[in-house]
Amino acid sequence: MALINIATHEIHCKIVYYGIGYCGKTTNLQYVFKSINPKARGEMLSIATETERTLFFDFLPLDLGTVHGFRTRFHLYTVPGQVLYERTRLAVLSGADGIVFVVDSQAEKFEENVQSIAELEVNMRRIGKDLGNFPFIMQWNKRDMPSALPVNVLERYLNRRRVPSFEAIACDGKGVFATLRAISKNVMAHL
Amino acid sequence: MEQLTNLVISDRELAFISAALNKLMNDTNATSVMLIDKSGQVIATQGTGVRRNATSLGALLAGAFSSSRHIAELLGEKDFRTIFQQGVKENIFTTMVEEQWLLVIVFDKLTHIGLVKVLSKKAADEMGRILERVRADTTRTKSSVINVQFRSSVEDTIDLLFRD
Ligand SMILES: Nc1nc2c(ncn2[C@@H]2O[C@H](COP(=O)(O)OP(=O)(O)OP(=O)(O)O)[C@@H](O)[C@H]2O)c(=O)[nH]1
Ligand SMILES: [Mg+2]
Repeated sequence: MALINIATHEIHCKIVYYGIGYCGKTTNLQYVFKSINPKARGEMLSIATETERTLFFDFLPLDLGTVHGFRTRFHLYTVPGQVLYERTRLAVLSGADGIVFVVDSQAEKFEENVQSIAELEVNMRRIGKDLGNFPFIMQWNKRDMPSALPVNVLERYLNRRRVPSFEAIACDGKGVFATLRAISKNVMAHL
Repeated sequence: MEQLTNLVISDRELAFISAALNKLMNDTNATSVMLIDKSGQVIATQGTGVRRNATSLGALLAGAFSSSRHIAELLGEKDFRTIFQQGVKENIFTTMVEEQWLLVIVFDKLTHIGLVKVLSKKAADEMGRILERVRADTTRTKSSVINVQFRSSVEDTIDLLFRD
């Protein structure tokens, strides 16, 4: 839920990266953190296990500076993707203004991706939001992997809602900012 | 329940919020108090202890509250509205304002938890009344801020900043 604070002249929006374990959500935020103008970002917070898997969430506050008199901020979050953390994902989704669904393009992950999207649909209904009328985009990640499925197959089976989608190799930064630009604009258009 | 897409807080309401937070901080002798949205965004803070880390604290406190609430739900508890985190030096008491905001009080051992519980309940009720007005004002005030020029400037800024 975007917060527009007229008194302090601030606008805050929350964007959540969703998807299966190991698909590259944290990698997206890490790349943004290290590549964006340092003035435009705050500290990145990661609550992770000893093996670098997200346990609770990652959090990266971005600051666009003052736009038309309003300090505009985007707060990026990732959910923990492992199946075990279903309830935690629901907690992180609360109050989201936009969602990036990160897909692991590898054929052996196909089934898991399908289940994760179905779970997201259910979770959105639980928090009273309709994904059909909500800032929502797809990222086809891990395009460099030998077993990556063709994009048209991913589009057909994983993008039933025909939302905008972006190919990515998050560990090399490819597609990371294109994805972020698209979801940010989408969120602003919905304000 | 359908969640709101946004919430607009005016000068007037922020002044009421700040006054209520200040009163709560003084009456309980707390070190800091905060009002955050359940999405983790900070609405207002009072006291020096939290200001520097307010953004991260907001995200973490909202996350902690939300996950505690899910724990309670799994254990069959229906009406879960507060959490108390006890430390060696500082304690944190968090209470819900309706289903939308969280009121957070940070206090040390000079303050008794009983006092915090009672006074935070009163303050939360007052915040609830302010929230009502914020909700009522939201649709009216939004269009004055989010206009065509604002939208196109934001798009330009996004293109400028969100790149390698
Ligand atoms: N080859 C390849 N590896 C990637 C790509 N994106 C991320 N990775 C790697 O995949 C691994 C997992 O990435 P994370 O970003 O930690 O995955 P996550 O989605 O946050 O996983 P959870 O926290 O468990 O939900 C890391 O070793 C990344 O370097 C990609 O596009 N191609
Ligand atoms: Mg992660």
